[in-house]
Order: sequence, then structure tokens, then C-alpha cells
Amino acid sequence: MNHGLEQISPELWEPLELIEKDFEKIEKPSLTFLQDGWRRLKKNKTAMVSMVFVLILILGAILIPSFWPYSYEEQTLTLSNVPPILKIYPLADEVNNICVYITEGYDAIEVTPDGELVQLLQPDYKDIISRKSVYDLNGKELAIDYSLYTQAKKEYSALEKKYGGMELIPADAAVYLSNYFGGGAEGEMVSLAETKKILEEKIDKCTITYDGAKLTQPKSVHNKTFVLGSDSLGRDLFIRVVYGARVSLTVGIFAALVNFIIGVFYGCFAGYKGGNVDTVMMRIVDVIDSVPMTLYVILIMVLIGSGMKSIIIALGLTYWVRMARIVRGQVLSLKNSEFVLAARTLGASTGRIFVKHLIPNMMGTIMVAIAMQIPNAIFTEAFLSFIGLGVSAPMASWGTLCNDALASIYVYPYQLLIPAAAISITILALNLFSDGLRDAFDPKQRK
Amino acid sequence: MVRYIVKRAAAALITIWFIMTLTFLLMNAIPGSPISTDKVYDVTLQQALEEKYGLNKPWHERYIKYLVDYAHGDFGMSYLKVGLSTNEIIAAGFPYSLRIGIFSSILIVSFGVMAGILAALRQNKMIDRLLMVLSTLGSTIPSFVFATLYLFVFSKILGLVPAFGVGHWKGYIGPVLVTSVFSMAFVTRLMRTSMIEELNQDYIRTARAKGISEFKVVTKHAMRNAVLPVITYIGPMVAMVVTGSFVIEKVFGIPGIGSLFTSSVLSRDYTLIMGITVFFAVFLVFCTLVVDILYVFVDPRIKYD
Repeated sequence: MNHGLEQISPELWEPLELIEKDFEKIEKPSLTFLQDGWRRLKKNKTAMVSMVFVLILILGAILIPSFWPYSYEEQTLTLSNVPPILKIYPLADEVNNICVYITEGYDAIEVTPDGELVQLLQPDYKDIISRKSVYDLNGKELAIDYSLYTQAKKEYSALEKKYGGMELIPADAAVYLSNYFGGGAEGEMVSLAETKKILEEKIDKCTITYDGAKLTQPKSVHNKTFVLGSDSLGRDLFIRVVYGARVSLTVGIFAALVNFIIGVFYGCFAGYKGGNVDTVMMRIVDVIDSVPMTLYVILIMVLIGSGMKSIIIALGLTYWVRMARIVRGQVLSLKNSEFVLAARTLGASTGRIFVKHLIPNMMGTIMVAIAMQIPNAIFTEAFLSFIGLGVSAPMASWGTLCNDALASIYVYPYQLLIPAAAISITILALNLFSDGLRDAFDPKQRK
Repeated sequence: MVRYIVKRAAAALITIWFIMTLTFLLMNAIPGSPISTDKVYDVTLQQALEEKYGLNKPWHERYIKYLVDYAHGDFGMSYLKVGLSTNEIIAAGFPYSLRIGIFSSILIVSFGVMAGILAALRQNKMIDRLLMVLSTLGSTIPSFVFATLYLFVFSKILGLVPAFGVGHWKGYIGPVLVTSVFSMAFVTRLMRTSMIEELNQDYIRTARAKGISEFKVVTKHAMRNAVLPVITYIGPMVAMVVTGSFVIEKVFGIPGIGSLFTSSVLSRDYTLIMGITVFFAVFLVFCTLVVDILYVFVDPRIKYD
């Protein structure tokens, strides 16, 4: 019977090396819940790009203020409202070698050729009536004459008043129009919109003469002193936007955490107790939920005053309703499962069951809910700051920056566009990231 | 059915009572009397003022009086706008806000539903992608940014609309558009999802198999069912429109109730804050109630337990 076995050479009976043991097993490596979610999240390119952006934003908000040369409240009143891109006029001859930037208020700022602001030039004399300022630069004369445009603008306002309801205006109704159309203005008719266009586009805001010669060719350079320009008090807009990011992120994260704590406790309690307690607690949630949270937030802010802490408290006290609902739903479905029964049989206290058994099992859902809450909180903070209930001056938040810029939006649009872009991009990134997080960690919720 | 409506109405009343109490408590918790804060009055004058506004009474008496007065529709006198009652101030501002709100709601629902259907019918095609990108942008850019951009482009550069106020009908275009953007984006998404879901149902296949025209299948069969989630969103939508008005009326310079509320909050005009808050709450609860009752008629499957 066993004749075959003797023919097998003895060395084939040697035991395998220990590591070769699992070589033929076909099995995926076992992943924890977090590893599994992370694997799915990594596949989602949009979410990853958003995550990298948010991480850079957080790092920037923490680190940049420590080495940036300006602080958020440092004012340089002489260099106010300087945009991020400057149109400069180079003045180069034997006595002067500087560039000048002419502000919207017709002041002259000395600039280096590569865009660093040096100083506000002091005019030799400033004639407000004939709208002309003259600077003496080492014996050579720099003159800024803005009378033409101011005059034309005055005429335009008069036209607007006079011909407001009419379709067409005779072209010789105003001096600047006659000048624009030259000799053949008689009988020509233009629309009011066109006269405005001529005013804004065809007439130079000011004429600049240096040493008798008219300067016409401005050069565009980046503002090296204030990378994103300065605001109406001459503060560096870049560092203020960075501080805005600090405020927004702090508010977003802490408000979400406060929501998490209140919501989890409330939801756990209601779901675990069940019965009448649950009904009453959830009715209260329904009542709170039936009026917009912003109203409550505003009322609480009136009570405890404005400031970052107040915003966090106000948001934390109001927005937990959603979290409470989610947690309650989860607890209801989990509390009758075997592992909870086992824990209870072994004599674990209710608190221990929550902390060790229920909450870890709901972590995916809770994490997603927190991530979705952060952009909401940032949105609300910007909203509150914008209506004047947010952080107090001189601290900056994106909402207050937008609000400050509102007064001069037509003249200095960059002051609004920069913080507005910051809010929009951040909220977009956070939303995309939390969507990705939801798809990765809580696929059931996917819509 | 009647039972359901009565139950809903009772819940609405409780909600209103809760909000009134909360508002009262919050406003009462503010330290100091609202009269003594800014100006220093003569002692007798101050006493007379406290007498007039009932501030010398204990809080529970004031609370009862407050509930009774509000139940009679008397919202009290404004502290800071001398000689004006809260009712008069609200009555002056409400028409502007209501007009913007109604036009916005119509725009949100009609555009949102149509865009949602279009996106669902052209799922994953160019137009769908474009609408989804627009709706993402619409829900991420804050309304005050939209409002200022709108003014910058249409008023400053193109000169088509007035920059301030609602003296001309053109002044309403901007506020209505900006108020609508956020909810419009949401409704588009909602409608697209539910429309896609409905179009995959068996009854749609049956309808198509019977040879009914595609237009009828979409409008008569799929849309009627798909539009239900949009109706449930009307309540939150009204809330969004109301809170949106705080910012939008400020930017566009409209003397509506939203900008009244913001200014009363900033100037700490307590009676006005209370009056407007309660007014908003009643308005919203009323809208939600109407939607809830309508829903029963629109969707006969709903159980009114």
C-alpha cells in the first residue's frame, strides 16, 4: 500500500520556511475602518485637491503671520488704497531716477522701478480750485492736472439730471462732448450711456507733465510692498486676508466641535432613553429647527456682544440640531445590537457604553456631519461680520473685509474681490472635501 | 385629515410661543435698562420713561403683558425711533421685502424645477455638467459677493440699473436675482436627483411602452412625482429668503424689513428687535403650516398620523 511513498526522496519532506507559509493564500489585507475610508478618499481626485488646499490654508494661516513684515493693524496712512498692480511713470534723467504712481485721489507716490513703494511725495503747491498739483523734484517740475476729467464729470452729472428720461442727447450739450466729436458736433445725437462711456474711457483721468513733457506710457508692475494692495487705512491687505482665514477657520472648527459635543450628548440621550423622553426631546428639536438659525445667532450676539468667542458660542448653541438628529437616528439603530447587550450584561455603565461602544460605531457619520458643518459656520461668520455683528475692529475677518470694501467698491474693486475670492474658494474646497469624505466614510448617505 | 391640520396648527402655535419666550428671555438677560444705556436722563424723566415702557415692573408681569399685547397684535413702541410703533415700522418696510420675496420664490421654483428637469434629461451631457458647476458656484459664493458683483457690473460698468434703492422697477432685478441664487442652486440639484430617480421607475417604462409622447411622459408622469421634494423645501426656502434679506437689502439700499432688523440690532433697539423677530417667526411658521397642509393635497400617499 505504501510502496509509492518510499520512492519520494527524503529532502522533499523538509518543512517549509515559516515565511513561505502564507504564499498561496488569496486574501485582501485586513483594513481598519479608517484605512478603508482613506483608501476610498484617495481615489477621489477632487476631494484630494480640496484637502491639500485646505491644509495649505491652515498652515498659511498659522505660519505666515509669524514672519510677515506687517501686522494686521499696522497703518501707513500715507500709502492707503494702493492696488496690487501699479501703473507707474518712470522719470529718468540726470537729476532724478525714480518712478511715480498716481493714486485715484491724484496724489503721487514714489516707487522703485520694480514696484516697491518708497514714499508719498509732498506737493510744492496744490491748487484745489484749478485742480492741479505741482511737485518739485530736485529742480524739475512734475505737474498733475486733473481739471479736464473733473469738469467733464460735472458736466455729465448735469446732463444726467437734465436729460435723465430722454433717449438721445444733442452732442453739443456739454463741452467735453463737443471736444470729443471735434468740429462736426452740430446736430449729432448720442445716448446717455454713450456719453458716460466717453467720459470713462475716452477722457484721461489726469494729465501728467514732467519737465514740460507729457507722460503717457505707464508701465505695469506688481506692488512689492503690499502684495495684495493696501486698504483705506494703509494696512496690508494680504496679512489681513490671512488673519481673516485664521478667524474663519477657528470659528468653523470650534463651532463644529461645540455642535458635536452638544449634538452627540443630546442625540445619544434621546435615542438611548427612547419612549416619551425621546418624543419630547425630539419635539423640542423640531420647534428649534422651524425658525432660521441665523435669527437665534443674531439674538445671542446681541446678548453677549460681538467678537470671535461670541460667534463660536452663538453658532455652537444653535446649529447642533442637525447633529442631534443624526446621532439619535444612529443610536436608535445601534442600541439593540448584540454588542451593546453584551456590554450591558457585563455590567458596563451607560456612559461607558456610549463612549466605548456607541460613539466609535457612529464615528463615520459624525465625522462627515462635522466636516459639513465647518463651511456652514464659516459662511455664517462671514454673513454676521458683513452686517456688522462679527469680530470687532481692528481684527479682520473675511466678512468685515468685504464690508469695509463696500464703501469704495467702484473705485477700489480689488479690496472686495480679494476677500470675496478667499471666502468662495475656501467654502468650495471645504464643501468638495466634505462631499468626498461622505462618499468615502458614509456611502449610505450618498445622494 | 382635519385632525392632522389641527395638530399641525397646534404645533405651529407652540413654536410661536417658544420663540416669543426665547426672544423675551434673551432680550431681558441683557444687563442694564435699555433707556439708561446711552443718554443720561434726569431721574424723574427716567422713572417716567420706565413707567411708560413698563420697565419698572417685575419680569413675570412684563412677560404676561408682552404675551397679551403681542396676541392682540400690538408690538409696542420703538425705543429709539421716537413716536413710532413697531407695527408702523414693520408695516412700512414689509411691502418691499414681500415683493422681493414673492418674485424670488417664483423665480427659484420655476427656474430650479426647469433646470433640474433639463439636467436630468441630459444626464452627464454638457448642459448637465454646466448646470451642476453653476449650482455648485451658486451655493458656495456668499450672497453679499453676488450682490456687489452685480452692482459693479450692471450699475457701474454697464449703467443699466440704479445703484441704490427701488424707485424704479429695475431696482428690483438685482435683489430678486441675488436672493434667489442660493436656493435656486439647491432646488436645481434636488429636482435633478429626484427626476433621475423617477425616470428609472417602472411606471415610466410602462408609459413609454404605451406609446405616450416623451413630452407627456416627462411632464405628466415623471415631473408630478419628482416635484414633491421641492415642495417640502419651500419652508426652508422662505427662511433662506428672509435671512438673505438682512444682507441684500443692506447692499442694495432697500428700506425693507431685513435692513430694518439689521439696523435695529446694531442700534440695540430692543422692542424693534423683539417685534421683528416675532414677526419673522410667525411669518415663517405660517408659511411652513401652509406648505404642510398643501402637501397633504398634493401627495395623497402621505399618512396623517
